[in-house]
Amino acid sequence: MNTLLIIMILLPAAGAIAVALLGNSHPEAVRRLSLLVTLATLGLAAGVVANYEPTTKEQLADQIMAPQMVTRTTWFQFTGAGDQSIKIEAYLGIDGISLWLVALTALLTVSSVLVSWTAIDTRVAEFFAWLLILETAMLGVFCSFDLILFYVFFEFTLIPLFFLIGIWGGSQREYAAGKFFIYTLTGSLVSLLGLLAVVLTVHSVNPEVFTFSIPELAQEIKTQLATADVELAEFWRTAQFWMFLALFAGFAIKVPLFPFHTWLPLAHVEAPTAGSVLLAGVLLKLGSYGFLRLALPLLPLAVVDVGVPLVATLSVIGILYGAFCALSQRDMKRLVAYSSVSHLGFCMLGIFALNAEGIAGGTMQMINHGLSTGALFLLVGMIYERLHTRQLDDMGGIAAKLPWFSCCLVFACLSSMGLPGLNGFVGEILSLIGMFKVHPGYAALGTSGIIIGAWYLLKMMELVLFGPPGKKIAGHTSVPDLNGRELASLAPIMALCLVIGIYPSPFMKVIQPEVDAIAALYDGSVPNALEARLTQPLRTAHWAAFKPLSPRENAP
Amino acid sequence: MADWMLWWIPGAPLVAAILLACFGKTALRGISPLVCVAGVGVSAVLSLLLMFTGNVAEEPIRLLGYQWLSIGDLTVDIVLQADALSTMMLVMVTTVASLVAIYAAGYMHGDPGQPRFFAAVSLFVFSMTMLVLSGNLILLYVFWEAVGLCSYLLIGFWFHKPEAAAAAKKAFLVNRIGDFGFALGIFLIWLLVGEALNGLPPAGQQLLDYSTVFQAAETVSRAHPTLLMTACLLLFAGAVGKSAQFPLHVWLPDAMEGPTPVSALIHAATMVTAGVYMVCRLSPLFALAPEAQAVVATIGGITALLAALIALTQFDLKRILAYSTVSQLGLMFVALGSGCSGEEILPVAAIGAMFHLFTHAFFKALLFLGAGSVMHSMGNVIDIRQFSGLRRVMPITHWTFLVGALALAGIPPLSGFWSKDEILAVVGLAAEESPYPSLFGWLRIGVLLTSGLTAFYIFRAYLLTFWGEERFPKAAGHHPHESPPVMAYPLIALAVCAAGIGLAVGPSHAFFHFLSHAPGLKGEPHPLAASVMATGTLVGLAGVFTAWWVYIARPGLATTWAKRFSGFYRMSLGKFFFDEIYSAVAVKPLEGIADTSSLVDKSVIDRLVDWIAGRPALVGRWFRKWQSGLIQSYAAMMFLGLMLLTVYLVWVE
Repeated sequence: MNTLLIIMILLPAAGAIAVALLGNSHPEAVRRLSLLVTLATLGLAAGVVANYEPTTKEQLADQIMAPQMVTRTTWFQFTGAGDQSIKIEAYLGIDGISLWLVALTALLTVSSVLVSWTAIDTRVAEFFAWLLILETAMLGVFCSFDLILFYVFFEFTLIPLFFLIGIWGGSQREYAAGKFFIYTLTGSLVSLLGLLAVVLTVHSVNPEVFTFSIPELAQEIKTQLATADVELAEFWRTAQFWMFLALFAGFAIKVPLFPFHTWLPLAHVEAPTAGSVLLAGVLLKLGSYGFLRLALPLLPLAVVDVGVPLVATLSVIGILYGAFCALSQRDMKRLVAYSSVSHLGFCMLGIFALNAEGIAGGTMQMINHGLSTGALFLLVGMIYERLHTRQLDDMGGIAAKLPWFSCCLVFACLSSMGLPGLNGFVGEILSLIGMFKVHPGYAALGTSGIIIGAWYLLKMMELVLFGPPGKKIAGHTSVPDLNGRELASLAPIMALCLVIGIYPSPFMKVIQPEVDAIAALYDGSVPNALEARLTQPLRTAHWAAFKPLSPRENAP
Repeated sequence: MADWMLWWIPGAPLVAAILLACFGKTALRGISPLVCVAGVGVSAVLSLLLMFTGNVAEEPIRLLGYQWLSIGDLTVDIVLQADALSTMMLVMVTTVASLVAIYAAGYMHGDPGQPRFFAAVSLFVFSMTMLVLSGNLILLYVFWEAVGLCSYLLIGFWFHKPEAAAAAKKAFLVNRIGDFGFALGIFLIWLLVGEALNGLPPAGQQLLDYSTVFQAAETVSRAHPTLLMTACLLLFAGAVGKSAQFPLHVWLPDAMEGPTPVSALIHAATMVTAGVYMVCRLSPLFALAPEAQAVVATIGGITALLAALIALTQFDLKRILAYSTVSQLGLMFVALGSGCSGEEILPVAAIGAMFHLFTHAFFKALLFLGAGSVMHSMGNVIDIRQFSGLRRVMPITHWTFLVGALALAGIPPLSGFWSKDEILAVVGLAAEESPYPSLFGWLRIGVLLTSGLTAFYIFRAYLLTFWGEERFPKAAGHHPHESPPVMAYPLIALAVCAAGIGLAVGPSHAFFHFLSHAPGLKGEPHPLAASVMATGTLVGLAGVFTAWWVYIARPGLATTWAKRFSGFYRMSLGKFFFDEIYSAVAVKPLEGIADTSSLVDKSVIDRLVDWIAGRPALVGRWFRKWQSGLIQSYAAMMFLGLMLLTVYLVWVE
C-alpha cells in the first residue's frame, strides 16, 4: 500500500466534491480552493518524483515492467467457468514511462486552473469540479497496471471533458462535445474487446493464468511466445493481428493518427482554454501511452507484422498532412490543433521504431508536446480573452504592445518547432534517429516535416506579433500585457522546456530502464527465434534497409 | 592558459546575454552595449590567449562538460574541443564580434530595442563560439540551429517593418531546408559509423564525436562508398543553406533588413561561414568522397559567378555586399572542392578556403560597417543613386572602405590578394591533377571571371558612393557628418586587419602551418607561384580600371551598356528571378497543397466520418417506421410473425 500515490490520485476528486459543495455562488472561494487542491496535487506529484528511483536491473529481472510504489488490492472478484476465481484489481503503481506523464498532468492542471480564473464566469463551481475530476481520471490512467482499472480511468476521462466542452465551449460546443465523445468512445469500446480477447486468449493457452494485471500478462505472453511450437506461434500471430487492430481502433483515434483526427480540431476550437490545454497536453497522450503500455508489450508479433507498416505510414502522413493543414489555417487555435496531429506523428514514429532511441524519443515527445502545445493553447486563450478573436488576419504588431506575451509566444513556438536547446528537439531527434535506424525512408519523410513545421509556426508569429498593428490591436487604446497570474501559469512550463532542452539526461535516466526492457522484446533475438517458427516471415523484416545495430550482442 | 578558461570563451557572452535578457530593461538600461562588449571582449582576449599561449595546435584541448543524453546507441556529451581549426575560428569570430559590438554601441544608440539587440548579439557570440568548439556532430547541429535562431531574431529586429519580419522568416525557413539534409546526413553518419565500429566507440568517446567518425571513415568508405558520398552530400546541404549557396542563396540578400552591425557580424563574417567551417572540419570524410567534393566545387563555382553577376547591377549598397558575400563563400567552396585532387592537395585546398574565410571576415565586416556608417549619416538611405561624393564629408569611412574594397578586389599586398591567390592556385592544381580536369578547368575560368567582376562591382559601389559630385538625400538633413569615434575606431582597426593580416600570415605560410595540425589537414604548403599571382592581380586591376572607366572617366557609358545588353541587365537587376521562380514552383504549390489538405480534411475525411456515424441512425430510422403506434399494424405484424413461425416449425423442422 503506497499512500502517497493514492492520495495524489484521489485528492483532486475529493477537491471536486468540496468545490461542488461550495456551489456556484462562491466563485472566488471555488477558484482558490481549486488552485489549492491542484497545487497540493502537484506537490504530491513532486513527492512521487522525488521518491522515485530509476528501476534497477534487479527489479526488472527479466520482466518488461516493474512498477514502483505499488498498491494492489482486489477490487472485485467473481468465479468463472471451472470454479476459477477471477480478480479485478486496484493495481496502482508508477514506472519510468508514466512518471513524467503524471508530473506533466499535475503541472498542466495547475496552469489550467490559473488560466480559467477570469475566463470562466458562469457555473464556476461546476467547471472546477469537472476539471478536478478530470485530473483524477488522468492520473489514474497513468498509474493503472490492471487492464480493467486502466480502461475504467481511460473512459472516465471522457465524461468531465464532455461537460467542459459541452457547457463552457464555443458556439458549436454541443456538436463538438458530442462528436468527440462518440468518436473516441466508439473506438475505445473496440479496444476493450481487444483487451478482453488478450486476457481470454492467454487464459485459453495457459488455463492456469487468468489475470488482468498488465505486467503479468506481458510476462505470460512473452513466455508463451518463447516456448511456442509452430502451431501456437501461428495461432498467436493471427490472434494478435485482430487484437492489435482492436487496440488500434481506440488508440489511433485518441492519438489521433491520420485519418482518425477530425474530431480534434473541432474539439479544440470549441473547448475552453483549460479544456484545450488538458486535451492536447494530456489526453492525446492516452492514445500513444496506450500503444506503448499495452500494444508493444502485449502484442509483439502483431506490432512487428502490421503495427510498424500501418502506424509508421499513418504517422508520416500525419506529420506532413497535419503540418500542411496547420499551414492553411486562419484561426490560431485550429492551427495549434493541427500542429498536434503533426507532432504526435513524430511521437508514434518513434514508438514504432521499436528500439531504445525511438521509444525514448516517443516518450519524451509525449512530455514535450504536452509542455509546448499546452503553453501555446494557454497563450491563444490569453490573447483571445483580450482581443476576442483568434483570426490571424485580425492581428499583427502585438510584439510592440505586449512584450511579455510576445516573448512567451516566441518561446513556445520555438519549443514546438523543435529548436535545439529546448525540449522539442530532444524528442524529435530521438524519434527520427530511432526510426532512421530501421526504416530510413520513413524517417527521411518524417524529417521533412521539420521544414513545414517551422513554416506554419513562423507564419503564425509573423502574422500575430510582427508587422504594423492589425485591425484588432489598433482599435484598442490599451491592451494589458500578461498579468502575474498568467505568467505564473506559463513560467513553470517554459522553465521545464528549457531544462529538458539543455539537460535531458536526468529525464532520460528515469525512462531508460523501461524503454530498454520494451526494446529488448524487439531487439532481434526474440523476433528471430519466433520467426523461425512462422510459416510466413514477419512483414517488416523486409522493410529494413539496414541491419539494426544491436550493441547488446556485441558488448563484452 | 588553464583549461577551465576555455569554458569562458563561450561562457562570457552567455553570461552577458542572460544578464541583458533579465535586467536589460531595468538595472542595466543604458549600459547594455557595455555589458555585451565586456562579455564578447573577455571571449576575444581568451581566444587570443588560447592561440598564442595554448599550444593547441600540437595538443588539442578536449573538455567534457556533462552527458547531454544517452539512450541505446546514441550518446551525446557536451564536449568542447579546441584544436588549430577551432582556435583560428574563435580568434576570427571574437575579434570581429568585439569590434562590431563597439561599433554597434554607436550605431544602435537611441534605439529603444537596444537591450534586446545586445542580448541577441551576445547570445549569437555564445552560439557561434560553441559551434566551432563543438566536439561532436549533434552539438554542432544544436549550435548550427542556435546561430540560425539569433540570425532570425536579429534580422527581424525591427519587427514592425513587414519586410524585416518576412526576411527573418525566409532566412529561418530556407536554412531549415538545408538543416533537413544536414540532420539526415548526421543520422546516416551515425548509422554507418555505428556499423563500422559495431556500435562500440573507443573508450571515452562517442559515436558521433569527430575523432570517432574520422577513425571509422576508412572502414565506412570501404563498406559503403555510395552511402558515404550520400552522407557527405546531405551534410553539404546544411552548408548550402547556412552559407547561402545556390540554390538556397536567396535568404541572405533579404537578411540585410537587419541592423547593419548584424549584417557585418552574422551575415558576412561569421555565421554564414559556418558551412565552410563544417566542410573543412569534416575534411577526412569528404576526402573519401571525391564525387561529393566535385559537387561542392561545382555548387561553389556556380554560386560565385551567379552572385557576382547579380552584384554588378544592384543599387542597394548593403545588397551589393550581400551578393558579394555569397560570391566569396562560393569561392571558398570551390577551394574546398578542389581537395578531390589527392591527399597532398587536400590540405592546401582546405586551408586555402579557411585562409580566404579568415581574411574575408575582416574586409567584408569592414565594408559592411563602412556601409553602415554611410547609412547612418545618410539618414538610413542606402541606395547608391541617392548620394555621391561622400569622400570629403566622411573621410575615415572613405579611406577604410577603400581599404576593404581593395582587399576584396584582391589587389596586393592587401589581405584578400593572398587568400584569393591561394584559391586560384589550388583550382589550377585541381584542373591538372583532379579526376575531373575539365570541370576544374571551367571552374578556374569561373573563379578568374568572378575575381574580375568582384573588383568591378565593389569599385562601382565605392566610386558611386564616394566620388563624383557631392550629393545627399533629403533624409540626411543639412549637415551630413562623419560617424562618431565609437564607430570610427572599429573601422580603423578592421581596416588595419584587412590591409595587413594577409601579408602577416600568408607569404610565410604561418597560417598554413598552424592549421595543418587540424585533423585531416596535415600537409605541406604549396609554394607561391608568380604566374598565378600576376594573373590574379591583373584581373583585379582590370576590374578596378573598368569600374573607373565606366563610372568616372566616361560617365554615361554605364547607361549605354545597360541599354545595349538590356536582356542581361534586366536578368541581373532582377537577381535572375530566383525569388519569383521559387514562389511559382515551390511556395505557391506548397501553399496549394496546404489549402487542399485543409479542404479535404473538412469536406472529405470529416464528411466520411459523419457519414459513417450517420449509418446507425439510418438503421434506426428504418425501424422507426414500424413503431407507428397503430394497434392494428402491430396486430397485423404479430399475426404475420406467428404465421411465419408456424410455417417454419411445421415445414422446416
